[in-house]
Amino acid sequence: MKRVLLASLLAIAAATPALAQDFPPPPPVGEPKPFKLPATETFSLPNGMQVTLVPYGIAPKVVVSLRVRAGNVTEGDATWLADLTAAMMKEGAAGRSAGELATTAASMGGDLNVGAGQQATQITMNVLSEFAPAAVQLIGHVAIRPDLPASELARVKANLGRQLSVALSQPGTLADVALARTIYGPNHPYGRVVPSAAQLSGYTIDQIKAFHAGQFGAKRAHLYIAGKFDAAAVKVSIAKAFGGWASGPDPLKLDAPHQAGPRVILIDRPDAPQTTLRLSFDAANAGTDADIPQRVTNSLLGGAFSSRITTNIRETKGYTYSPGSGVAFNPGDALWTFDADVTTNVTGAALTEVFKEIRRMQTEPAPEEESKGIRTYMAGLFAIQNSTSPSLVNTLATRDTLGLPGDWTDRYVPAVLAVDPAAMMASAKASYPLDKLVLVAVGDLKTVEPQLKALPELAKVPFQRVSVP
Amino acid sequence: MEFLRMQKWSLALALAATSLSAPAIAQPAPAATQKLHVDMQYFTLPNGLKVVLAKDTIAPTVTIAVYYGIGFRVEPRERTGFAHLFEHLMFQGSKHAPKGVFDKTVTNAGGINNGSTRFDFTNYYEVLPSSALDRMLWLEADRMANPVIDQAVLENQQGVVGNEVKVNVLNQPYSTWPWIDLPMLANTNWYNSHNFYGDLKEIEAATVPDAKSFFEAFYRPSNAVLVVAGDLDYAATRAAIEKYFAPISKKPAVVQPDISEPRQTAEKYKSRVDALAPKPGYAAGYHVPERLTPEWYAMGLIDQILVQGDDSRLYTKLVQQTGIAGEIGGGINGDLGNMFNYRGPMLWSFSFTHDPTHTPAQITKAVDEVIEGIRAKPVTAVELARAKTKMRSDLYGEIDGGGRVGLVDLLAVHALFDNDPQAINRIEEGFAKVTPALIQKTAQEYLRKTNRSVYVVEPGAKGAAQGGK
Repeated sequence: MKRVLLASLLAIAAATPALAQDFPPPPPVGEPKPFKLPATETFSLPNGMQVTLVPYGIAPKVVVSLRVRAGNVTEGDATWLADLTAAMMKEGAAGRSAGELATTAASMGGDLNVGAGQQATQITMNVLSEFAPAAVQLIGHVAIRPDLPASELARVKANLGRQLSVALSQPGTLADVALARTIYGPNHPYGRVVPSAAQLSGYTIDQIKAFHAGQFGAKRAHLYIAGKFDAAAVKVSIAKAFGGWASGPDPLKLDAPHQAGPRVILIDRPDAPQTTLRLSFDAANAGTDADIPQRVTNSLLGGAFSSRITTNIRETKGYTYSPGSGVAFNPGDALWTFDADVTTNVTGAALTEVFKEIRRMQTEPAPEEESKGIRTYMAGLFAIQNSTSPSLVNTLATRDTLGLPGDWTDRYVPAVLAVDPAAMMASAKASYPLDKLVLVAVGDLKTVEPQLKALPELAKVPFQRVSVP
Repeated sequence: MEFLRMQKWSLALALAATSLSAPAIAQPAPAATQKLHVDMQYFTLPNGLKVVLAKDTIAPTVTIAVYYGIGFRVEPRERTGFAHLFEHLMFQGSKHAPKGVFDKTVTNAGGINNGSTRFDFTNYYEVLPSSALDRMLWLEADRMANPVIDQAVLENQQGVVGNEVKVNVLNQPYSTWPWIDLPMLANTNWYNSHNFYGDLKEIEAATVPDAKSFFEAFYRPSNAVLVVAGDLDYAATRAAIEKYFAPISKKPAVVQPDISEPRQTAEKYKSRVDALAPKPGYAAGYHVPERLTPEWYAMGLIDQILVQGDDSRLYTKLVQQTGIAGEIGGGINGDLGNMFNYRGPMLWSFSFTHDPTHTPAQITKAVDEVIEGIRAKPVTAVELARAKTKMRSDLYGEIDGGGRVGLVDLLAVHALFDNDPQAINRIEEGFAKVTPALIQKTAQEYLRKTNRSVYVVEPGAKGAAQGGK
């Protein structure tokens, strides 16, 4: 009986007459209409805090997001102290317990989200419009007057410890940790991605209080509000919530020199069905002349679904599911990385194709149609990506963190559209020096290492086995 | 033509007045002065294709989606994973747009596209500048009429899907837990309880005739809905749709298999060791009331009260008070969608990882204290009002989300399952009618222990911080 359904389907197929109609010709694709970001209003409080207001969207919702330039980069060698501080900030503020904070936020239609990233800690609520002033107050309390109760520390540390443990069981995390350590070195904040379990469990409430007291302040803070809201009421609320905040320290400026390749870093994961790959080169910093051409070049090489690498190793060869590439930016630092998880026995073959596509970018100008297509894609993507309040806030906050000028978001699309095939070829030559590659491979090394050693591009490159953490 | 209009919501205002009279109120009452209103046109072509058009002015882009009424729980026996494999095949070119043309057209026009397979549908969508609308309609029509299914594309996508399974399941800790494990345990009907991601052997055994018969059986206009939302002209868009889709042959409606589940009368429990997982995991699922019934609306609010947000009762108990978990994920259809986008039996579930210091029995005891609480006592007016506020805020967030993907999804499933996309303008009414008594009645039947399935993962990885070597 197992084949009955399939058999009946075949019968239906046989009974269906072939389409007789001629299919109409394809209609043309017109030029996109211009997309303009909504107008923003930015001002400073006397204590140095920046505020950006963006009336936007249609639904009666508002995003209130405070970004404070206190993150992993300012925690010294106390890795994840910023994460622990962020988690503790939800445990009570201005005399209200964690439960009371959560209930207050929920009654506005949103959660209170506090999280630390490399550059900043963000405190964000996405609430119904009428609660925008109240959300500003709540965020002010959490940012300025967290209780940081010692009684909750053991539990919060245990939660972070469990997250760390689960993250380290994922091959992608192992690859990312090894890559960062290789590029930036183990003694640079960017190279210290994860703490040891013992280090994490050793942090004290005094360290957390000192981190908050020393690293948080108005001069490091930028409040973004986007959506539907009453601007006058919100401004009153901002002055009340943040006007008395101490200025605190200036944002940290940090050099991030890269350790030159070529190097191959291997992590053994016996019998893994796939190899998790990271291939990296130094990239041009955000806002430099080389920045926009490198972004367009990256999109064509591996950054878009229709990119050359994806078309090759996924759509033609079937070696992988979701390959990709992109540039990660920090202030004064940028790194291009290709990543993919490929079936173990085709690891070498997949990399051969990636190297081939890189060389093709470097030696042949992209055909006009392909080149125009990728520029149009990036212009269109900018409109799509910025069509919600939360994503627009992220775009503006990233721009501001990287120190890009206020009109950068207006100049982005014209700059992208101006990149021609010659500029892309020049960018590819400068951006992907194969003799300086850094390659990380996490997988079944008894099968993978011989495949890598056989690649001409890696013939003279030092191989090193490492462990994480 | 905004799709959210400011209107009075008399029913909600009445409820708000009721909750204001409750003496214990400590939160601002939800100011329910706005009601969702999506402007739309709905019609069906003579060949059975349902069409929803929804105009807005958010951005000069359109979102186009085609939903087919074939989900992974309707796929044929002996071909597990076929619905998902076929989703991939629909990107492999059509008679007038060979392989690569579809994706390239989207990219080069400045857009993005994707597809997914869910319990009761397979969907395809594009977000792109409105200047490309007619061409995309032409492309979607061509692949609805004439997809290319041959040995070359089948083999290629068997490789890609195989890699998708490897990256998401075989090489990942927790892998199928709980999103595949829990339905397989809780359900008894094969359609609801098989491995819908697919056995790699069965994916590899699929043949071209299998694929063609699958297409003939399920990918027909009468089993599909086309949604276009965004910057469009109603009359012109309708004319284009009639031009490209109306010539596709009419075939009878698909007869869906019986996917009903008997009432569960005994608690189920299962555990497995996960070789890659470093920490234990606990998941529980309960069968929920039938979609669109008063009890189902109540179940949606029970979900808000018990598990959504840091104010929820399970979060408070398991995270804040006992420290068993660090976070809890869950919902109705929470792992693969939301409470709106399925038809047939479904689970309300929640899951989390925890430390081995807590046994499954201890966790179940803590869970029972929460669950029995909502079964034993009516919720207060304040707590119910807060749940409704959270639900409304979530709904607005979904509708106003990136690329209109959430809006299009709601329109499509209500057209596909209920022949009534206007129903999305009545969602709020359904929740507004829920009373504390209905919450309690629903909890008593659907949160019975005997309606519960618990699926536990035991860690197989050595050591808490298992990494690579």
